[in-house]
Amino acid sequence: MKKFLLGVAFSAVLTSSAFAQTIGVSMSELDNFLTILRNGIADYAKEKGVEVQIEVAEKDPAKQLSQIQNFIASGVDAIIVNPVDTDATAAQSKIAADAGIPLVYVNRQPANLDSLPDNQTFVGSNEVDSGTLETKEVCRLLKEKGKGDGANIVVLMGQLNNQAARQRTQDIHDVIATDECSFMKIVEEQTANWYRTEATDLMNNWLSAGVEFDAVVSNNDEMALGAIQAMKAAGMSMEDVVVGGVDATPDALAAMKAGDLDVTVFQNAAAQGSGAVDAALKLSQGEKLGNVVWVPFELVTPENMDKYMGQN
Amino acid sequence: MATTTTTTAVGEPKRRVLPPEFNVFIGLLVIAGIFELLGWFVRGDSFLFNLQRVSIIILQVSVIGIIAVGMTQVIITGGIDLSSGSVLAMTAFIAMSFAQVSSNARAVYPSLTDLPVIVPVAIGLGVGLLAGLINGVLIAYTKIPPFIATLGMMVTARGVANWYTRGQPVSFPTESYASIGQGMMPVIIFAIVAVLFHILLKYTLYGRRTYAVGSNEQAARVSGINVERHLMLVYAIAGGLSALAGIVLSARGQTAQGGMGLMYELQAIAMTVIGGTSLTGGRGSIIGTTLGMIIFGVITSGFTFIRVSAYYQEIIMGIIIVGAVVLDVYRQRLRGRI
Repeated sequence: MKKFLLGVAFSAVLTSSAFAQTIGVSMSELDNFLTILRNGIADYAKEKGVEVQIEVAEKDPAKQLSQIQNFIASGVDAIIVNPVDTDATAAQSKIAADAGIPLVYVNRQPANLDSLPDNQTFVGSNEVDSGTLETKEVCRLLKEKGKGDGANIVVLMGQLNNQAARQRTQDIHDVIATDECSFMKIVEEQTANWYRTEATDLMNNWLSAGVEFDAVVSNNDEMALGAIQAMKAAGMSMEDVVVGGVDATPDALAAMKAGDLDVTVFQNAAAQGSGAVDAALKLSQGEKLGNVVWVPFELVTPENMDKYMGQN
Repeated sequence: MATTTTTTAVGEPKRRVLPPEFNVFIGLLVIAGIFELLGWFVRGDSFLFNLQRVSIIILQVSVIGIIAVGMTQVIITGGIDLSSGSVLAMTAFIAMSFAQVSSNARAVYPSLTDLPVIVPVAIGLGVGLLAGLINGVLIAYTKIPPFIATLGMMVTARGVANWYTRGQPVSFPTESYASIGQGMMPVIIFAIVAVLFHILLKYTLYGRRTYAVGSNEQAARVSGINVERHLMLVYAIAGGLSALAGIVLSARGQTAQGGMGLMYELQAIAMTVIGGTSLTGGRGSIIGTTLGMIIFGVITSGFTFIRVSAYYQEIIMGIIIVGAVVLDVYRQRLRGRI
């Protein structure tokens, strides 16, 4: 009841200033990546002349739900949610659907994706793409180096209980299962928990055990950088080994510029933000979008890396 | 005071009893032997007789080893320090922010780049000492249990680390700063710290007071030790060593990242306890902790060497930790020491 009254109070404040379309946005938290996404929403909304009210749920699903209720009570035209808990989205979908207000999930895939109502959708990047793009490019580079008749690769996994780590590792296996890349063989596969120094230690252990490989495929850039440090310290030439990561962090791009890192993958946070605003506007005009609007992952290589400098 | 140390350190003078570290050393040999055997079986190669691998075994645990040295003296006083990993992260962020190169367009302090290496090191150590001192003051004067005081610092320091750059990683240090963590430098720094604290604990007043406070705080007080002041000193030094570990780790990876040092305090406690230091205080040594640390390194490298799947490693690691301590307690009891 209290929350409801608060919502009404809010709506009174809001509607007075809302002549243009209004979108309520609830972000899970604001880390490096989500801050770029948030700014993507704000900048694009400004461009489109839409008013946005952005709230942050501080990783609290209950707080997020009440933020959505407040948005509904204040009569926004659409809601964008970056879910705190992707398993708790059914309740969010229901209250928005009951109120007849369009809802867009952004970045994190809701668990109820397949049963989303017509005026709700998910804007994000398909996690399957990141590991696939990375591994395919590693495969291509290995062929280019004339290793197409047999190449050993080592795999650095992220935290074992993490969805992205599992998916990206699965992607590597899936790409190797295809005919074009079946010449690649995984000789070692271990976790370094996303961390740089843990990857350095792991690579040191492999090198000392005499493991021989032509490529390092890592679930993220940090671990790829750690492996590079170990290989360089051991006197290996980075010309001879293909190293791939995911994230396109500033550190990774610097390593790519130095010729150490060969492949990384960029998740376009700003494009997810603007895509979410676009989707919200379309839904509020009654357009149908389907369950998912994909914002593609982008492959970053030394040829196109300049475009990504300063974006992450 | 003198009596407390002799009764707790070594047994009766008549029979020549082996030092408690000997057990740990045997444990280390057994574990290494198992990996050696499995190594021949799985890889067809020796696990131990490879100089490069032996240096890696020590290299990969030396950062946590630095924390474990500080932890050992804290545990000898009968306390605990849960804040080490977070203090490590906090100092890594703060020190790195004063160690960045000017060519980095996204420096935390664009006007404070290319500083001499002493600046970030001094600031980092200062931050760590301060955090440790706060732990010490809370424990000594408010009388709250060390578990709670350092738990508070664990959460707070992690918060400071995340707040400091709003979660943004800090990278691109100067070459001189990075050199602190390159090659075998972490091992050298650990060795210096270990030798220094071995001497401090074994041969100085500082050490005798540390054991005395942990054996029997009341007796220590009666014998004229300023227990409060000494606890403050012990925790401040532990904080300083966590900071040193943070500096070495950030120099080694050339970056400070959000999740840095997570669970390091627990690993340091495990190393210390495996090394024969008693959680009830009054007993323990740096030699034991060093051996405990090497056991950790052997297990980590050994797992990779014999290709244990990542999913099983943590399970086996947990069993080894508990098993080692159970075995030690059992052997102590056999000798009638507990």
